[in-house]
Amino acid sequence: MLDPITRIEGHLSIRTEVENNHVVEAYCSGEMFRGFETILRGRDPLDAQQITQRICGVCPVPHGLASILAQDQAYGITLTKNGRLLRNLISGANFVQDHILHFYHLSAVDFVDVAAVAKYNGNDNSLNELKAWVNSQLNSNILFPAAPFLPRYSGNYIENDELNFIALKHYLEAMEVRKAGTQMVALFAGKIPHPAGLIPGGVSEKVTADKIAAYSARLKKLRTFVDTAYLPDVIEVAKVYPEYFDIGKGCGNFLAYGIYPESETDTERFLPGGVLLDNELHALNAAQITEDTRFSRFSSPSGLNPNVGQSAADPGKQDAYTWLKAPRYDGHVVEVGPLARMMVGYHYEQPQIKNIIDDTLTKTGLQPRHLVSALGRHLARALETKIIVDRCAEWLEQLVPEKPAFVDFEIPQNSHGIGLWEAPRGALGHWLNIKDYKISNYQCVVPTTWNCSPRDDQGKPGPVEQALVGTRIEDEQNPIEAARVVRSFDPCLACAVH
Amino acid sequence: MSDINRRDFLKLSGKLAAAMGIASTFTPKIAEALNELASGQAPVVWLQGLSCSGCSVSFLNADAPSAVDVLTEYVSLIFHSTLMTATGEQSLAVIDKAIEMEDYLLVVEGAVPAAMPEACLMGHEKFGDLLIRTSKAAKAVVSIGTCASFGGIPAAENNLTGAMGVADFLEQNDVSKPQINLPGCPSHPDWFIGTLVHVLKFGIPKLDEKNRPLMFYSKTIHDQCPRFPDYERERFAKTFSDSGCFFELGCLGVHTYADCTLRGWNSGINNCIKAGMPCVGCASDKFTAKASFPLYTKRNLEHKKAE
Repeated sequence: MLDPITRIEGHLSIRTEVENNHVVEAYCSGEMFRGFETILRGRDPLDAQQITQRICGVCPVPHGLASILAQDQAYGITLTKNGRLLRNLISGANFVQDHILHFYHLSAVDFVDVAAVAKYNGNDNSLNELKAWVNSQLNSNILFPAAPFLPRYSGNYIENDELNFIALKHYLEAMEVRKAGTQMVALFAGKIPHPAGLIPGGVSEKVTADKIAAYSARLKKLRTFVDTAYLPDVIEVAKVYPEYFDIGKGCGNFLAYGIYPESETDTERFLPGGVLLDNELHALNAAQITEDTRFSRFSSPSGLNPNVGQSAADPGKQDAYTWLKAPRYDGHVVEVGPLARMMVGYHYEQPQIKNIIDDTLTKTGLQPRHLVSALGRHLARALETKIIVDRCAEWLEQLVPEKPAFVDFEIPQNSHGIGLWEAPRGALGHWLNIKDYKISNYQCVVPTTWNCSPRDDQGKPGPVEQALVGTRIEDEQNPIEAARVVRSFDPCLACAVH
Repeated sequence: MSDINRRDFLKLSGKLAAAMGIASTFTPKIAEALNELASGQAPVVWLQGLSCSGCSVSFLNADAPSAVDVLTEYVSLIFHSTLMTATGEQSLAVIDKAIEMEDYLLVVEGAVPAAMPEACLMGHEKFGDLLIRTSKAAKAVVSIGTCASFGGIPAAENNLTGAMGVADFLEQNDVSKPQINLPGCPSHPDWFIGTLVHVLKFGIPKLDEKNRPLMFYSKTIHDQCPRFPDYERERFAKTFSDSGCFFELGCLGVHTYADCTLRGWNSGINNCIKAGMPCVGCASDKFTAKASFPLYTKRNLEHKKAE
């Protein structure tokens, strides 16, 4: 039993059955329910992007964007060029800071030996400060010294201290670098978490030369960090744990809605959407999405498309073990996230994705199959970060100061819209229906709803449940191997249940 | 970490300087009184109920002192689900040990599902039960964000969980503790860190009738709005992104006590009104409370409805 799973967003517990040191069954439980979809009913449609952002403080930007995309469609809006570019730039900065946070602050301490800093003898100021702090904590009789870094599972942490030192130094730097990313979001969207400036019709902030320069200066910091720290660190850590390229494979099917429109008509997205089933690429058809509820704490009918979805809570339901529904694509269990986007993009032959993956496989000697694994997910996330951070520099160049980023609109009496977008954690969909100027139904199908989904009506386990099966657990009291597999998906439970 | 950082901090907050000199040791003792926490790194247990983790993320966005400064100089963050290395039973054991010692500040993020206790579980324990047990042993309870302070979105009309703020829930369950509310969606990192430092160095800060520190929540957004002159001259914005006062678009700055317009978000870089949008009143106890009270009142929409 892993309960709670920390260093993820929200309330996740995982029950595993272990035989002969191997996981044979896994059950993912989302343990927190607020009922956003019910709260949204009967409200003004413009409330939606503000309220749905608050589903998650880690992912407010993608929720806001999915909501305004659904509203753009419902109101019949075509964005201006500045509006489209600003949304891409806001989302881009958010992706980069979020991926950096996930690797260094949520995942790395499963691999990097924090305690090694006590042995540091170099000249780096930040590491010496950390060393002094850790030593003073360990030599004190404080209740839990060096919290929140300790206590931790015992396990096979990195033994190469030079690598530990570099990773710890970057852990500290990453705290500052990701803040630059949040500032880039705030520049064009007001604040983060929970930006004000994401609205139907574009973005409320104006494009001015000083803001472009302010964004550009911070983008430079992010690009340097991705090139000199994040990407190399992921590859170096991966070298120490080659077995994790064979652990945590999961279902092997992938779904991406795609993100970053390259034109105002949104006919092409920089990271393309699609569905990869048994390595065969299919065009996306949102009508094929359904949500099963047999093992979920809802009394709503199973198998509904989100356009007519329902979310009637039933906390005491027999056999239900989670607050997550089980989304399926044409009945298939599919994984979403950076790996899904890279896999779909690779099969789509998107040039940046294809080049960086081929290049990385050549340099590391890995095979394509290794990408579908716990470490493959970390690698895909880092490669995606590199592609996005570089593309942001080009979008920034295309902004035209003083031209509008917002077009005004009217809300029709009755309408509907679907916002299909990507969060850093994967494919994010908002389904909006408006009747008599009010929200008549609002449904969100969120990345972690896909990834941490329970068994569906046919009894097929979700992607994380499948990825855990077969994982070797050395010591059942210290199931660090299972924790590593789960964290490779970057779960976000507040999102998943909402 | 060190005297260098501590000196930096002294420079930044001159009025704290006199008191800060005493905080230079790491001599942790199981303290009996709140002010003794100040001599070491005060243990903090941070729980999340019906929450989005937005206040935690906001804390990570803190500038000077940064989250790292706070964690290495002011507090010992012994429990925080999103940030702690420990997982599973190992992490829950920390809470049990802390309760035994009765020596920590409790920070709560998120509302409490009073009518549907199964809506939030941690380690199979209902969040409400966990909150009662950890509050009883805490020195004081800090509710960070609008959800923990007043219920927020989880407590909005049509909710299914009977969500409420921490203070109301504890009162219902006869738990009496010093309470501080730091509403905001999210709460600004300065509000949290400023309050924390005040609690550790000087005791509980002056609070208003809703237990909000007066140093951050004494004036409305409207009174501190950069567009106040537009309001006075009746220059009103017609739609989002316009210049002028947002009063006619339903700006809730008139009813919302907070200092965001002066302080700015994300290292002071921007704020909602500056970015071209009305205040939605996220720090207010009424935030999103009524379905019939929209966050914005867009003029052409109102005309349409009147037709």
